[in-house]
Amino acid sequence: MKKLKLTILFIPAWLWAQQTVAPTTDAPVGPVRGQDAGDYNIVQSWELGYRFATIGGDQDLYRSDVNYGDGIRLLGSSLTVNSRDGHGRWLDSLSLTTQGLGGDPYQSVNLRAEKNGLYEYDMTWRDNAYFNPGLAIAGGQHLMNTNYKWQDHDLTLLPQNWFRIHMGYSRVAQDGPALSTQQVFGSQGPVFPLFSNISEQFNEYRLGGDVRARGFKLTILHRWQYFREDSSQYQSGPVPGLLNPSPSAATLTSYQQSQPYRGQTPAWFGNLYYERKWVAVDARFNYAGGRGSFLQNEVAMGLDRFGAAQNQQIAVAGTGDRPITSGDLNITLFPASRFNLLTEMSVSDVRMNGSNSFTQLNYNTLSLATLNFQFLGIRLLTGSATAHYRFSKKLNVFAGFQYSDRQIRSIEDTTSPGFPFAGIAAEQVDLLRAGTAGFNWMAAKNLQVHGEAEIGRDNNPFTPVSLRNEHGIRANVRYRLKSLSLTGAYQENYNNNSIAITAYSSHARTYSANATWSPTSRVSVDASYSKLHLDTIGGISFFAATGFATSFYPNQQSIYISNIHAANLDVRFAATKRLDLFAGYNITRDAGDGRSAIAVQPNPVTQLLYSVQTFPLTYQSPFARISWRLQENLRFNVGYQYYGYGEDFGLPGYRQGYRAHTGYTSLLWSF
Amino acid sequence: MATGYAAPANTQYVGSLACKACHPEVWSTFFRNAHFKSVAMKKEDPAHTGCEGCHGPGGAHVASYGGRKNIRVFSQLTPAETTAVCLECHAKDLPRANIYASEHTQADVVCTSCHSIHHSSGPRFLLAKQQAELCYQCHEGVRSQFAMPARHRVDEGAMTCSDCHNPHGSFAATWGMGTNQTMQQAAFDVEQPCLRCHTDKRGPLVFEHASVRVEGCTACHFAHGSTNTKLLRRPVVFTLCLECHNGAGTFGRETASVYSTPFSHNLLDPRYQRCTLCHVRIHGSNSDPMFLR
Repeated sequence: MKKLKLTILFIPAWLWAQQTVAPTTDAPVGPVRGQDAGDYNIVQSWELGYRFATIGGDQDLYRSDVNYGDGIRLLGSSLTVNSRDGHGRWLDSLSLTTQGLGGDPYQSVNLRAEKNGLYEYDMTWRDNAYFNPGLAIAGGQHLMNTNYKWQDHDLTLLPQNWFRIHMGYSRVAQDGPALSTQQVFGSQGPVFPLFSNISEQFNEYRLGGDVRARGFKLTILHRWQYFREDSSQYQSGPVPGLLNPSPSAATLTSYQQSQPYRGQTPAWFGNLYYERKWVAVDARFNYAGGRGSFLQNEVAMGLDRFGAAQNQQIAVAGTGDRPITSGDLNITLFPASRFNLLTEMSVSDVRMNGSNSFTQLNYNTLSLATLNFQFLGIRLLTGSATAHYRFSKKLNVFAGFQYSDRQIRSIEDTTSPGFPFAGIAAEQVDLLRAGTAGFNWMAAKNLQVHGEAEIGRDNNPFTPVSLRNEHGIRANVRYRLKSLSLTGAYQENYNNNSIAITAYSSHARTYSANATWSPTSRVSVDASYSKLHLDTIGGISFFAATGFATSFYPNQQSIYISNIHAANLDVRFAATKRLDLFAGYNITRDAGDGRSAIAVQPNPVTQLLYSVQTFPLTYQSPFARISWRLQENLRFNVGYQYYGYGEDFGLPGYRQGYRAHTGYTSLLWSF
Repeated sequence: MATGYAAPANTQYVGSLACKACHPEVWSTFFRNAHFKSVAMKKEDPAHTGCEGCHGPGGAHVASYGGRKNIRVFSQLTPAETTAVCLECHAKDLPRANIYASEHTQADVVCTSCHSIHHSSGPRFLLAKQQAELCYQCHEGVRSQFAMPARHRVDEGAMTCSDCHNPHGSFAATWGMGTNQTMQQAAFDVEQPCLRCHTDKRGPLVFEHASVRVEGCTACHFAHGSTNTKLLRRPVVFTLCLECHNGAGTFGRETASVYSTPFSHNLLDPRYQRCTLCHVRIHGSNSDPMFLR
């Protein structure tokens, strides 16, 4: 009822349009000169308002896609403090901006402060609330309702000096409740829903510096990175199994799992840069020595699928290492004003190895511990050379060649205590060569044309969907007048990785056009349209049972056709000196392969493959805003945005949709 | 500098105060501009100070009472000339080797295409517009991707393009095969950009899902936006998994095949159509080589 009243209250505002999701601190607020305080000039704006949202249909999906709710918000704010002569006592400039504080799902604060010649400090803080039901995944049984929090602090001392010191701290944390699943009571056992508490933290400390002298610049940075996860899963009441084959008497009466993980990565970064009139050399070295250790304790009690009582405990312990070493050398030559040549070489070596001890107890039976070992090593060499030549002020061209040489090695083994690892070793090497070429042409006074193409061949790709025989084309045309800008672009990527069994090919084409028109300072129109077309065919094989017998189905085809039309229209109009209007419309329409419904196929296997070949849907969002200048530095804003999502015909068992009315009203005060 | 801009013949520097007389609207707020520090510091030579630091010596311009032919006007420079002028100072933080190797420079997208020195939208980085709007000017297809139902929250302001990309050019990627990746910003200098936020996927893990490490996250996910949940490349998860796990030869670490699904996995059973119902640790596991826990 409360939401309904609010909705009625704001109905007049819906006659006008505006983008709801973004704060309006960029809106014109009159001549803001700020206030002088001592030697400083201060400019600030604050937008305080109320958001509302009414949702019909799948609320979970709305929260996954949009997630705006009700409440009072500091929608946006901005504060800048500048020393008028550049000689403030503690700082010469300060900039603070905020967004969505007070409960929006996407909140952020940015702070920058600096004192010329002494320090620069940058801070970013973000807090995002995510709700992810993952409905098409795992039978809809996976759900996360977590908060992601980021912090980044960077301090540079003596920023204009030949010698600078860099310090920093970053933190990423995710926590919140989740739902997950777990298969227990055997490798073909039942699957049960579980509650989870997500708790993850990443902390990084940085310290380094750089020195500039005689055309050289040397940078050294050390990182100390720590990651910890203390997530747990549990189920305290009897729950039946999910989607289990018959007989399905499976019940989980009690489950508890904790899996603490601790990781740390000390890392070094070095960069040597040298520059002269005709050459620039940039060399980089990295080393990151990742190491993690973990324990897992899992206790489960219940009935298996045949109704037999089960009491099971699993204990696992192990460690993993992942040292990464990489180096790059870029040399850029400028032998003539019309010509430059860029070369780049890099090498990286990643070596991942881990081992664990896995012990499972069932009732009074103690199984032997299993020891597992896995190694994965990736060594990658890349090189490229690109030449640019400028024929005239109107035309320049470029062409290049690049190669990548990759070696992948692996060792895997499983054994028992007392028995040595024998190790099953394997090695794969592949080589990719690619050529690129392109041009920039000023065809007429205001007409710019850009085109480029790439063709590549990989002799031994790692997966059936990797690049093998690929080419790409990209072109755009831009026409600009003072009040009108027209652009058109085309991009195509094609990959054919067909061999006898898999016959994989992927063909993506994107057509886009944009027009921006600002005939006067009071009116602007921005319209764009994109068509994203994707065709893929992948050879697949699998087992399926249409009766009592399970059969192997080789040489089947997984087809996916996505044909997305996306359009965007924004109109700004200053109706009077006091009134600004903003209206827009976004639509994303996947027309699929053109079928209007899922037709009945001759057998279940064909039916299954046919039903997942395309996924037509519509996602649209008209919006409107009115901004009324009440006084010189005070504005009243009202915004409304509608979100509509609908699937024409859905995935097996799902057809989702929602309609959401969201909006806000706010006061923007600038001075 | 070979790619530099040839300054006008009159090299007489007159100082920024001379500009104030005819350009008061610029000078009155110039103390808020990041370039003002070159004036305030009083340590730079005239060629790198205030207005003339960018526009070149103003002696002839002042003597002629204005004009566009006797001073450096950026709207009249070629893209290469604009880049060269800005790098005279900014090369100390933005190496020319990376700038010239970037796809932006190749496409004649230069400093003033994105930065507005006198009319920036905000105090940070002197961007001409909000960052995403700037990028959408050329990358219309990307705008469409960020308007899809499953997406990274760029339009909402939760993240920015430069969280994952380096518009000024970066070093070669150390993952994938080194193609089409020149504008990606490595996380922690050497990792895929995704791991900057998704730190739980970073490991090291005892059992890595090899395709994640070898091919990268985009083997299964779209980076910007998708009509499929979790930014997956397919709307139904088993089609995504089976396109690799089909037993095809010559692929995979053992060069014999990528593991195919076993006999027990009846694809017509709904349980086996939802691969991650059981394979919950699909990005990699510490406990189970099949990613079951």
